[in-house]
Amino acid sequence: MKQTIRVTINGRLYEEDVEPRLLLSHFLRENIGLTGTHVGCVVGECGACSILLDGKVVKSCLHFAVQADGREVTTVEGLAKDGELSPRQEAFVKHYAFQCGYCTPGMVITSHALLQRNPNPSDEEIRKALAGNLCMCTGYVQIVDAVKDAAKGMKNG
Amino acid sequence: MAKFVGSRTRSKEGPRHVTGRGLYTDDFRLPGMLQAMILRSPHAHAKINSVDPSEAIKNPNVMAVITPEDVKQLTKPFKPGRYAAGLKRPVDEYAGAVEKVRYVGEPIGAVAARDRGTAEDALELIQVDYEPLRAVVDVREAIKPSSATLFDELGTNLAWQGSLQYGDIEAAFKSADRVVKETLKIHRYSSTPLEPFNVIASYDAASKRLTVWVTAQVPEVIYDGLREALGLQDIRVIIPDVGGGFGQKIHLIRKYVVLVSLLAMKTGRPVKWIEDRSEHMMAGGHACAQEFEAEAAVKNDGTVLGLRFKEYDDVGGSVSTLTIHFTNKLNNLSNTYRTPAIHMEGYAVVTNKCPVIPNRGIGKPGMCYIWERMMDRVAQALELSPIEVRRKNLIQPSEMPYRTISGNIYDSGDYPGLLSALLEKIDYDKLRDEQRKAREQGKLMGIGIVIGVEPGGRNAARDMAIFPEMKEPPGSGGINGATIKLEKNGTLTLHLGSPNCGQAHETTTAQVAAEILGTTPDQISTSIPFDSDLSPWGVAAANSGNNFHLYDIGAIHGAATKLREKVLQLSGHVLNTDPKELTIENGVVQVPGSATKKVTFAELGRIAYNNQHLIPDGMEAGLQATFYYTFPHAKPNIIPDADRRVRAQFTFSAGAHAAVVEVDKATGKVEVLRYLIVGDNGTVINPDVVNGQVYGSAAHGIAIALGEGFIYSAEGQPLTITYLDYGKCSTAETPRVEVIHRPSPSPFTSLGQKAAGEGAAIPSPAAIASAVEDALKPFGVKVCDLPLTPESVWRLVNHNPETERRSF
Repeated sequence: MKQTIRVTINGRLYEEDVEPRLLLSHFLRENIGLTGTHVGCVVGECGACSILLDGKVVKSCLHFAVQADGREVTTVEGLAKDGELSPRQEAFVKHYAFQCGYCTPGMVITSHALLQRNPNPSDEEIRKALAGNLCMCTGYVQIVDAVKDAAKGMKNG
Repeated sequence: MAKFVGSRTRSKEGPRHVTGRGLYTDDFRLPGMLQAMILRSPHAHAKINSVDPSEAIKNPNVMAVITPEDVKQLTKPFKPGRYAAGLKRPVDEYAGAVEKVRYVGEPIGAVAARDRGTAEDALELIQVDYEPLRAVVDVREAIKPSSATLFDELGTNLAWQGSLQYGDIEAAFKSADRVVKETLKIHRYSSTPLEPFNVIASYDAASKRLTVWVTAQVPEVIYDGLREALGLQDIRVIIPDVGGGFGQKIHLIRKYVVLVSLLAMKTGRPVKWIEDRSEHMMAGGHACAQEFEAEAAVKNDGTVLGLRFKEYDDVGGSVSTLTIHFTNKLNNLSNTYRTPAIHMEGYAVVTNKCPVIPNRGIGKPGMCYIWERMMDRVAQALELSPIEVRRKNLIQPSEMPYRTISGNIYDSGDYPGLLSALLEKIDYDKLRDEQRKAREQGKLMGIGIVIGVEPGGRNAARDMAIFPEMKEPPGSGGINGATIKLEKNGTLTLHLGSPNCGQAHETTTAQVAAEILGTTPDQISTSIPFDSDLSPWGVAAANSGNNFHLYDIGAIHGAATKLREKVLQLSGHVLNTDPKELTIENGVVQVPGSATKKVTFAELGRIAYNNQHLIPDGMEAGLQATFYYTFPHAKPNIIPDADRRVRAQFTFSAGAHAAVVEVDKATGKVEVLRYLIVGDNGTVINPDVVNGQVYGSAAHGIAIALGEGFIYSAEGQPLTITYLDYGKCSTAETPRVEVIHRPSPSPFTSLGQKAAGEGAAIPSPAAIASAVEDALKPFGVKVCDLPLTPESVWRLVNHNPETERRSF
């Protein structure tokens, strides 16, 4: 039996009837049409579906949509304003911190949360924060560099 | 002076990826689209007695079920060809298992329902009567007469054996001062692309047209597979953004494209299938476990006179990729060495495990592993420095282009220079001092130095050297198309023959086209997706075999050059000037110094498509050029000669790798303290892109060596079907790889470029093995087998490597 939920996503309130077994990741992709949240494993290991739930990073495949009822969600689509990339997104572009792009939304979201929490992270802190986001392409070097550079940019600006 | 080639231009793919606007197959939805699930075997080896879907189809939301009977009735087996080379007796391989299952996860059917949950529920209602058979999991057991056999048609699990010899191997061993022998092993692994397999199929029964959207690397494999299996002629293959390929998405995925297409044909509605992670890990294809018995004939000064090896390949439960890991050894058979005689002998053994697929380098990491482990063994046997032994045998820069014993022609390279630069940059002597001090403190620090080539640009005719019974090559050389169109507003659009799986095709081709056409990369966009209706074809219209740098860049270079000529011809006419006097800069064609004699790309765009009276007589209107590139230096030996010498690949990048590790004696855990590569990828078109390929491929090779891998139980059950079980490395375990470029541009390619994709994955497993062995020197143990998990290293330290050895 479907349940009605009200979720604020990227600043906008949505009301939807969903099956209780619908995952939050699939709710975002299929019901709301925000396909930037990628699904790589559906068991919380890869981090491609990372989003912010009430400001904290969660893997949206480990939540049911009904658990987001009354809460606030930020997806990767919510970071750029009017086509202007956020400084973190810009740093990812500058450093080529992606290859196939599939892990990238999760990486960007997790980096965003890290830098909000800790504006001046060390390499080790960056690597620790991103350890739940797997990337098969890059070997992580340029991702770590992008996050460091984004932190520097935030300090200067 | 190059403006864009070699520069750090802004990524063209980046903005869409960081904002979540990449478009992958799973992001598309069609009206009335159904969701599919695949019915898979829970058994490693079993006969299928019957499949009864009657309970499943009682649910009105279940729209169709495909059973083995349907597969047999409605489809034909794939034609053996490029992917079943070496098969002596025909074995029919359908998209799904029809009589027997031969690995856990093998597809035997499929369901389409109105939503995925219903489709998943329906799978559980399909009654399959299996008759379990004895599972064959160990290669050595598999080839014993007492073993159960997978394919009745073959009567044996030894599905292929063969050998190949270059030079006088007998003489080499006869004249040797010493013979050094070793048995080496590489396990099963994969690149586990983050985006799993997926397909959308849509069939228009009235016009008999099938359209598929699919995450695939090689459009022609999908195209041919659909034609062969479904007998259709009107097929459109669309490949949107691909979330990682690495070879995983070349071949095996065609099975699923056929099954999902069958569902679309049966229901008359579009059908989407998205693979689960666990499905991918058990059935999405693995790199081959390989066992080598190698022996080197050497002189006392370290000169290697000959190399002989036997190879046992565990190819899993399919014959369609039987020999790929063996045949690919021809690509880097000589590695960086001058050794005048090589003998190779291969055994391809089918087992009840996931079929093998072409994964990043295919057999090349194995070939490099043989060479580099053997170089260390030779040094140990002769009590020489491992670096000196390598130096002794290296091909010299003065010998380039160098023809290897098997017919490869190495285009360029300075291998002694790479090695010297590596030792200097890593401060090798100081490292050895540090190591001495570390050992005094009881720390197990190790240093591994290896070198390897990275071949690029495949030549499918290579296989004829190994299978002389082949009358015709499955293809040869590399033909690849590209189209460039100057739009009406003066911007440019490129159409490539290969899909982009993360190698920055859009950025790199825009740089090259901008350079040639005198415009800027921001004025150029590349058409994504690949669309077989619109995109050019080619034997190498593919994202595999390290082809992009040679064939796609060659094609774009050719198309841009052709378009430039047209632009100049039209401009000359419009400006009433000899085209030879014109220059192009920032999209403006002009007589240098003249304020009036100029015309912009935007003006030309308007003329070329609208204004016939301004088009010179005899000139084709429009400003569009398609160019089909063929590699101009493919001869000699594009096909094998009488001595079976053949160009397996056409360009040869190279890299010297240094790994510095520390082993925790108590736990066996290996930490990589430093990993440095001095690489030659020829002319670097975009340093960030090339660095990314090197970092990524090195990280994968290191991860493989240190434990990523698939494990099976004695019954053939896969035990590693999640990323965690598989041991996927995160930021926490992956070392920061360092790269220094020392390019020797290729004299054979359009810009001097060489390959950079498989690259660092080829020597890195050997580098880690060498470093770990060096770290364990105080225990006098040899490292022969990968992976070096904490458990296996602990066993090495504790001198009992043979107990409870995992079954790979």
